[in-house]
Amino acid sequence: MSSQPIITILFLTLVGFVAGVAILVVSKVLPKEDPSFEEAARIKDLLPGGECGSCGYPGCFAYAQAVAKDKQLPARAPCRPLIQDKEGLRQFEAHLGLSIDTAQLARRALVHCSGNSPNLATYNGINSCRAAVQLASGFRECPYACLGLADCVRICPVNAITIDFEQRVARVDWEKCIGCGLCAPACPQNLIDLVPKAMPQYLGCNYQAAKEIPGRKRCAVGCIHCRICVKVSPDGEVGWNEKKDLPSFDPQRSLFAAAAIAKCPRKIILKTAAAKQSE
Amino acid sequence: MRELVVIFFGMALVNNFVLVRFLGLCPFFGVSTKLTNALSMGVAVLLVMLVASAVTWPIYHLLLVPYQVEFMETVIFILVIAVLVQIIEITIRRTNLTLYRAFGIYLPLITTNCAVLGLAFINIRHEYTFFESIFASLGAGIGFTLVLIIMSGLRERLEITDLPHAFTGTPIAFIIAMFLGLAFLAFAGMIG
Repeated sequence: MSSQPIITILFLTLVGFVAGVAILVVSKVLPKEDPSFEEAARIKDLLPGGECGSCGYPGCFAYAQAVAKDKQLPARAPCRPLIQDKEGLRQFEAHLGLSIDTAQLARRALVHCSGNSPNLATYNGINSCRAAVQLASGFRECPYACLGLADCVRICPVNAITIDFEQRVARVDWEKCIGCGLCAPACPQNLIDLVPKAMPQYLGCNYQAAKEIPGRKRCAVGCIHCRICVKVSPDGEVGWNEKKDLPSFDPQRSLFAAAAIAKCPRKIILKTAAAKQSE
Repeated sequence: MRELVVIFFGMALVNNFVLVRFLGLCPFFGVSTKLTNALSMGVAVLLVMLVASAVTWPIYHLLLVPYQVEFMETVIFILVIAVLVQIIEITIRRTNLTLYRAFGIYLPLITTNCAVLGLAFINIRHEYTFFESIFASLGAGIGFTLVLIIMSGLRERLEITDLPHAFTGTPIAFIIAMFLGLAFLAFAGMIG
């Protein structure tokens, strides 16, 4: 009986020792891990880590692994949230020894709808635009209108989108938006577009069926396809998208169309946050 | 053979670890919000349970019993399971990085999972032979994975349901767990 405490102590020491040796042996015997793994782990620490997937890779770590293999990758497939962060981007560039042209790459999301389209009926179904659009393309008068059921709000990783309940439309806060583009495919009405951060204006409407039913009958602020915006912009600030029958703005040039904004009879060429710099 | 099948189904359904024995409740609520997460957690637990019972059974019967220090089973089992998880993690990390990424945080989490330790004790209490304890761990792991998958499927459905505000999230999960527990109680008395 008196030897039991000694056996107990010996036992625990022995098991602990064996366990320690076992871990040591296992870590010595096994092959060293892929060296690019550690490099990828270091690169991942420099990324924002939002796991948004806007780079085209499944998560930040997969992107870091791809960058570790191909150092020029960020120029082609940039991490868009990283571009917003000046200090983070500087460290990232210093680590990889390259420089990324941010002016070209920074993007912002915007919603091509001004809201206010009246309701055809009360919708009590599943609280999601994607579900609502299954019922005769939504419950608004305008079949292209924002439904305001916030699919984009839920998917946004930085809470940059809010629903304006008075105007019944989604709005993007360009201060918060990181241009990841997750919201664009989430919108079943295809109302969300990504434009360069320098783009000074956009069309707050997506009413395309001009020849069937004129937009003016469906919505008080819908595009009436008058093309006056094109006529008052001699320098090509405003183009015309023949397929959609709507004005278009060249994302490459991002020109400020002051005359078109003033002349639009529906006042739906809306200024963005970048417009203040152009004025 | 019949014995083994009875033990397997007894562990997986009749005495399900989560819903009947109330072991491993933290991952049951914590990791059951998404189906993919639930699946990786379940598979990780299954793997660790298998290895843990294959190691703790010989330790108990070949070391603790002959030296009459059975009272030390708790501390020894905790130590052994922690080391095992560590070794499995190193092995996966060095050999298959994709799998390591898929398991992610879940493998280290199991180090402190009561379901694994509970299984080691149950194997001893029921006086299972080595093979019986292996089958018991298979059944326990599969039963755990099954319940996690059922729960995550239900919770994914709940995401799009219009619930009273006070019930969203964890409260409704508790209510669902209650119904699941009731459903699994129907197995009681079938075998084992």
